[in-house]
Amino acid sequence: MAQKTEGVVTYVRKEQWLKIINRLPFLSQEQKDRESQTWKNWAEKDKGIKMKMAFSPNESLYTYFSDEPEEGGYSWRKSEYYIYRNFEKEKKTDIIEMLGKTYIIDDSLNAPVWKIGNQIKEVAGYICMKAETEDPIKKQKITAWFAQDIPVPAGPERVNSLPGLILELDVNDGDMVIEATNVTFKPVTPDDLKLPKTKGKKINDKVYDAVIQQNIAESMTAHRNPFWTVRY
Amino acid sequence: MKNLFLLAVLCLLTAALYAQSPPPARFTLQGRAVDTAAAPLAESTVMLLNPKDSSLVNFTRANTTGAFAFKNIKTGTYTLKISFVGFIPYNQLIKPTGEAVMDLGALKMKPITKELFEVVVKTAKAPLTIKGDTIEYNASSFKVPPGSTVEDLLRKLPGVQVDQDGNIKAQGQDVKRVTVDGKNFFGNDPKQATKNLQAEAITKVQVFNDKTEQAKLTGIDDGKKEKTVNLELKEEFKKGGFGKVTAAAGPASNNVSARAEAKGSYNKFNAKHQFSLVGLGNNTNQQGLSRDDYQDFRGSNAYNANQNADFGFSGNYFYFSDSGDEGLGIPVSGRQGVGFSNNAAAGANYNYDTKQKKVSGSYYYNQTRIDLNARRNRDNTLPQDQYKTDETSNQINFNGNHRASLRYEKEIDSLNTLVFINNSRYGVGNAQLFRKQLLTRSNGAITDNESVNNSEQKQFAMSNSLIYRHKMRSKKGRSFAASATYEVNTNDATLNLDSRNTYTGPISAGNRLPDIHQDQRNDIIRSEYKASLQYVEPFAKRYTWETFFNFSLRNDEVDHDVFNRGDSRYIRNDTLSLYYKNNYVYNRLGSSVRYSYKGLNISAGLAGQRFTLNGEFAPDQTAATFQNINRVFTTVIPNVGLNYSMKNNRYLGAGYNVNVQIPTSRDLQPVINNSNPLFINQGNPDLLPQLGHNLNAYFNYFNPGNFINAYISLYGTKFVNQIVYSQNTDPQTLVTVIKPENFSGGQNLGSYIGFGFPLKKTKATLDLNGGFNLGNNPSRINGVINDTKVRGYNLGARLSLTPVEWLTFYGNANVNVTNNEFSINPNRNQSFTNNNFSGELTLKLPHEFYINSNLNYRVNRNEQLNFDLRIPIWNASVYHILGKAKRAEIRLTAIDMLNRNVSVSLNRGVNYTQSETIETLARYFTIGFTYNMRGVQAKMRRDGY
Repeated sequence: MAQKTEGVVTYVRKEQWLKIINRLPFLSQEQKDRESQTWKNWAEKDKGIKMKMAFSPNESLYTYFSDEPEEGGYSWRKSEYYIYRNFEKEKKTDIIEMLGKTYIIDDSLNAPVWKIGNQIKEVAGYICMKAETEDPIKKQKITAWFAQDIPVPAGPERVNSLPGLILELDVNDGDMVIEATNVTFKPVTPDDLKLPKTKGKKINDKVYDAVIQQNIAESMTAHRNPFWTVRY
Repeated sequence: MKNLFLLAVLCLLTAALYAQSPPPARFTLQGRAVDTAAAPLAESTVMLLNPKDSSLVNFTRANTTGAFAFKNIKTGTYTLKISFVGFIPYNQLIKPTGEAVMDLGALKMKPITKELFEVVVKTAKAPLTIKGDTIEYNASSFKVPPGSTVEDLLRKLPGVQVDQDGNIKAQGQDVKRVTVDGKNFFGNDPKQATKNLQAEAITKVQVFNDKTEQAKLTGIDDGKKEKTVNLELKEEFKKGGFGKVTAAAGPASNNVSARAEAKGSYNKFNAKHQFSLVGLGNNTNQQGLSRDDYQDFRGSNAYNANQNADFGFSGNYFYFSDSGDEGLGIPVSGRQGVGFSNNAAAGANYNYDTKQKKVSGSYYYNQTRIDLNARRNRDNTLPQDQYKTDETSNQINFNGNHRASLRYEKEIDSLNTLVFINNSRYGVGNAQLFRKQLLTRSNGAITDNESVNNSEQKQFAMSNSLIYRHKMRSKKGRSFAASATYEVNTNDATLNLDSRNTYTGPISAGNRLPDIHQDQRNDIIRSEYKASLQYVEPFAKRYTWETFFNFSLRNDEVDHDVFNRGDSRYIRNDTLSLYYKNNYVYNRLGSSVRYSYKGLNISAGLAGQRFTLNGEFAPDQTAATFQNINRVFTTVIPNVGLNYSMKNNRYLGAGYNVNVQIPTSRDLQPVINNSNPLFINQGNPDLLPQLGHNLNAYFNYFNPGNFINAYISLYGTKFVNQIVYSQNTDPQTLVTVIKPENFSGGQNLGSYIGFGFPLKKTKATLDLNGGFNLGNNPSRINGVINDTKVRGYNLGARLSLTPVEWLTFYGNANVNVTNNEFSINPNRNQSFTNNNFSGELTLKLPHEFYINSNLNYRVNRNEQLNFDLRIPIWNASVYHILGKAKRAEIRLTAIDMLNRNVSVSLNRGVNYTQSETIETLARYFTIGFTYNMRGVQAKMRRDGY
């Protein structure tokens, strides 16, 4: 079983932007219905974006699967997004491009309070258990499904610290879902877990939370969707 | 707030109390995870939870013997949870015993029945929830055909049997009760619920042993359990209907008759179906649906991808459209028309959307009756002379159009897609025009032309496209597409033309014009057959190679018969009658390569195209001899494009392409259109396609952190064989003939630039923009080539104030200066100024009262002509939203309170200056009522979410 602690997971990340729009308090029911009815087929066609995570018992690095063009041969730029975790040293480093800047967030792990449920289901061939927590800043309900038999506390986005590898993440009952499509066990090299050299504004979790909170507050005042400009 | 404060104090106190109590003793918890046969469950996950909220306190892994230990944990109550693949999670409440080491010994875990585990969890990928002895299925994981009942769904669930009579057994036991969301459904017969409820409405099925009704009632647990099935309803089982109706009317005042408008819509939808109705009628110049109305009406079919059947370089239109015809799409306009118009429209739309199949159909009828009174004054210059034109006209036009559309999209499988699109229109129209034109020469001689035109037309247009797309299995990104299109347009028109001339002053015989009394018939049939092929090959990791072929055959036929009427004679006019037909064949073969990586996309391609025109014409189809047209035109067009999205929301783009525009049927047909006997339009069968070499570049920047945005764009076009309208005025009769011709050398260059920033974040934003446009266009005026040089400059500013929720203000200022220079007539060069200033204020008052007012101030000036027009249009409305549910609104509206609305324009060509005044609906007042089932929301802010 020891070999089941190192490898690469691929995920598909998909946002239901119509559901997200439906949560905006400044829109009337008429506007929400109009958006939903007009764009539902477009939203359905959205195949999501591929992500990947290299993990070892002590470290993980989560980022985009590839910079190569999408099917159809057109390349959209992806904002920089690297999430590095070191479980041994209880440290993390995130490189996140948002709001017109690149931020480098250095802090200790700061695990959320997880509530463990009694549901099990299969994701990418692994039996997972359900855990729930809440994002206090974005006010989101976060549901994670972690593998019973991959004892690595890593996970996609900025979510981690469960007794098993998180293979599915669901934010606000399906507003955004990240689902593992494949887990490959193999020795990972230090290069797989290395952050790129990037210049950016160095901050900690507290400042990061404040930046997000400010953007949400300002966007609501300005009647704009805050999640056009920060990751959901 | 007070409560919060108290709570905080309490928390602090509690924390302080805890801090004062002696440090809690710590203990070690250990045990061993085994299965029912006492075999160790190695590496099982062991968790310590807080029993209050199941929050995770600590976790560990068992070793190879299933043994685990939590060392040095705080004394307290915990839930111990052990999980192992294929076993029901083990839960045990741990209460402190005071011992330093608590050994739980062997903890036996029960396996999940193989059937449930294999079928539900592994195959259906359904989350299986285990709550004590409740097992919960996720209904959406079990596929049943649309329209199935819950009974059909239950049959699919492992461990559940339903017999022919609808009796249900779960895990071998009879199900005594079926509840919906925990509540009994239609009494105690479980079959009622399962036979009546739609499977679609269910999200979860829970099977568990419940206390008997008896036990629940008495509160005494008799130990008996009943198998119960609970059905949980989908929260967002999306189903709804909503409607909206608005009616407003106002009295007659100062020469304006009473005004009224009404609009209503109704929509009904669920996850798959959308049905909508819309209707409107008014005499307030509102001619179409607004964009929001259109979206509500068409629903998921309002905007479609996968519509383009003409593959190849985008922006290269191999597209034919005759100006003057109404399009096939439902007209959408937010603008107010000129003149006085009565409008009515009604339509129905239905969409059916599933993942594999999307069907949409719509019918829409609209009609407009417009009354236009116009006056045009023109100063004309001829090489040797000059004259003035004074035209007064009244026309009443009626147009009614029936539109139908059908769209069918089928995803045959993951590799093959088929789309069929049909759009049709049938239109009838008639017009009565009374026109008086006075031509005054410099010597005082006057031609007074009075004409009456009565016309009728019937039009039919239809377009059908079939598009097939295939993704090749052999390689990701390799694809093939084929399309076929058939379009047909017919237009049958009649015109009764009566034109009389009277003369005053020194008129010679050569200056006189014949009177015209004619009946004209014009029948046009245009059919077009198109086919396109496309092949895309990703030949290297970041490279895509696209090849396309387009074919088109356009067949035009026009039968123009003119009969002279008068003095009991009715004879055919062979000079004006014409029969013309042609075949226009177009072939294009092209190829391009694109490199794409990390937001950078560069493409380059080349296409060769060949146009063949074969036509013939004669005064009549029975004529013995026909004049032939045979032309071939070949060209090679390049296409280069760059799109680059860079870090921090910066975008750069550039491109070079050649736009090929084929002459319209109307421009090609050598028909002489004398519906205005003083301005005759004539087609030109010798026209070649127009080529426009386009060069463009842009840069955009947006900073969502500080809300600053900036953009700059530059574009230019150089024309080869530009289709321009040359004119020739007979110096004696003053009749002008306008005819299209090919001219090279025309070009234009323009730029726009903008910068927006918050003056105060979220409260005040200022956007500034500017631009210029430089162009010169050659054409032939009375046989002399004239080059018109146009230089235009504009500056604009927009201020958005949203300081508080109850007040918004939007201010706009735009300044435009245009200079025209004419190479053959420099003394007529001139400069126009068009400025526009506007402001809109919305106030929310207490008790759901609102005020909206906007003022638009237009300034048009031309110093050379002493023209100075200043028109302020001031509108206001006061409205009140009624009721608790806020579904109704009552509104008082005042349009053009200063009564200044008039449509006046001034324009100048190389040899004329013309001012035009059209009487237009001005001041009126209405009182209106709106009922909206979804609730009325006051529009305080402009959209942009």
